[in-house]
Amino acid sequence: MKARKRVVTTRRQVAARRTPTVRRIKSAIVPAVKRPVPASSRSGDSHAGGASTPDRSVDLTVDLGRGLVLANPIVAASGPFGYGVEVVDSVDLGLLGALVTRGTTLRARAGAPPPRMATTPSGLLHAVSFQNPGVDAVIEKHEPAWRGWRVPVVVNVCGESVGEFVEVVRRLEGLSGVAGVELNLGCPNRSRGGSPFAFDADAAASLVAAVRRTWDRCLVAKLSAGAADVRSVARAVAGAGADAISAINPVAALAVGGVRDRERARDRTLFGGAGAGLSGPAIRPIAMRVVYEVVGAVGIPVVAYGGVITLDDVLDYLAVGAAAVGVGAAALADPSLPVRLAEELADACSASGFTSYRALVGTSRR
Amino acid sequence: MTTLLAEAELVESRAILPGQWIGSFHAPHVASGARAGQFVHLRGPDAPTELLRRSVPLNTVDASTGIVTLHVTSGSARATDAFPVERLRVGDRVGLVGPFGRPFEVDPRSRHLLLIAGGFGMAALRMLADEAVRDGRQVTLLFGAAGARDVYPSSLLPDEIEYVVATADGSLGHRGPVADLVPAHEAWADQAFAAGPIPVLAALARHAVGRRERLGVATLGRKRGGGRPEPSGSATARRKAFLQVALDQSVGCAAATCLGCAVLGVGGVPLRTCREGPVFGAEELDWDAFA
Repeated sequence: MKARKRVVTTRRQVAARRTPTVRRIKSAIVPAVKRPVPASSRSGDSHAGGASTPDRSVDLTVDLGRGLVLANPIVAASGPFGYGVEVVDSVDLGLLGALVTRGTTLRARAGAPPPRMATTPSGLLHAVSFQNPGVDAVIEKHEPAWRGWRVPVVVNVCGESVGEFVEVVRRLEGLSGVAGVELNLGCPNRSRGGSPFAFDADAAASLVAAVRRTWDRCLVAKLSAGAADVRSVARAVAGAGADAISAINPVAALAVGGVRDRERARDRTLFGGAGAGLSGPAIRPIAMRVVYEVVGAVGIPVVAYGGVITLDDVLDYLAVGAAAVGVGAAALADPSLPVRLAEELADACSASGFTSYRALVGTSRR
Repeated sequence: MTTLLAEAELVESRAILPGQWIGSFHAPHVASGARAGQFVHLRGPDAPTELLRRSVPLNTVDASTGIVTLHVTSGSARATDAFPVERLRVGDRVGLVGPFGRPFEVDPRSRHLLLIAGGFGMAALRMLADEAVRDGRQVTLLFGAAGARDVYPSSLLPDEIEYVVATADGSLGHRGPVADLVPAHEAWADQAFAAGPIPVLAALARHAVGRRERLGVATLGRKRGGGRPEPSGSATARRKAFLQVALDQSVGCAAATCLGCAVLGVGGVPLRTCREGPVFGAEELDWDAFA
């Protein structure tokens, strides 16, 4: 196992590092168990022969700003991996660029009633509705573990008001296990009748600006495709101090159907009237457009989310200018996918003779 | 979750009903220690474009040969999930991991078990019938379907059980919902186990609430149904409930991480189908919360 760049988020970390000695040993052991390429990667095991260690000579690092440097551009998107602790024994999280946590609110949320998921053609509809234990419980239960991990942990922050976002971020302040925050601007803004922050450049900018005043580490603003002009929102959050932008949130969607009782329930909407978010390859072209426009509008790094399953999807997002690429829904069926994509990207770069993955970034714009 | 990449080979597949198959898989990793009510996670040949693995309850398990049979539907039995079992051929390998979740809890003192299956719910109850017969209990299985063509063949069930059928159109057995059959058997039964569509389960759960008062029956054990409330998801909570239900929800990660399979318990507490379920005591769940 080669030594990797450790992300130093604050100076305070030096003091904090004393505590989790045991956990650091554990996390050092886990990646050392070099898995063979999982059998489930049936399509094209191009790197099957133990080439799973990324080529040392390829520079894969991504600087998202304010000290958050990813070891590679593949990120576990918010959701499938929870807070990471749930999967740390089975997934080599240390081989990922970053882990973005489940959306976290100020207080515990019970989430939506069942059903919460349905598959649609090339898509996954989901309505967990921010179920989480609340930021204090998350910090107490998980942050000590994060400190010992090699993978930087970015907390996805949700809220219904600027005040709630700021309060959540304030609790995260000073914790060495938290490398950055990702503000989910897709959250409904209570003061604007529930319209998402991300739909309105002014609301998005004031939210980012307010958080910026309390948060001196990396701040990522997660945008939605539903904005009338996503470029103006991107410029607004960049101007308000976001270090990076991620896009896109799941697309608001709905499906009819559901339970099998045809006589009585056939024509009801799933998920009640609240609707759901659509993820998966179905939204990939939508996300591609948003990433393309955002990259053209701002100078800060963009993390692309939306339907990534194969290395080609990663390369596509890089081609339109994304600095990093997240894996979300597809990690449910295949938890090893993000790590595998990171390895495949490194292999693809070295096979092409690139010294840096940046040779692949923005190629469609030249 | 280290087992999430296991595979199994299809050794036999046969259609049993329109759009329903029973597939036999060689899966020793699943067969050992599996119990009725648990489920496996199936990943089909269309991976990776299938975004979710499909949760399928265990149909039968033979630990000595490692053969696991699964009762699967081709299409829209559950919302929009589909598993293309009809395109699988003997010898094909699928991702098959598990078992997951908590099983049915049969009280050792129970002699009479009432099994209630609505349609495809049979998939979750079949193994329990096997276990009960093996343990020398008497089993009555109530089965409800839309019409005669959807009635589960009795030839696939153990000979020792009583099998009572209801169809919505009256083409076979009782005309009406399967819940109509319950009052005739509930006094006889020591425990009841149900699986099927949510509206059927909800009706059964509401009916089960007043059972003790309605029948004035003596219950097994001193504090059965009484005493302190058991924590949700515990084996005792399930065993204490007269009616246990196996839910058939879409399961995302099966690792208790994604929260996509959660249902709401009494008091609005989210319970994950893959970890606290899929078998719940009927009174643990908030049946009004299901959309």
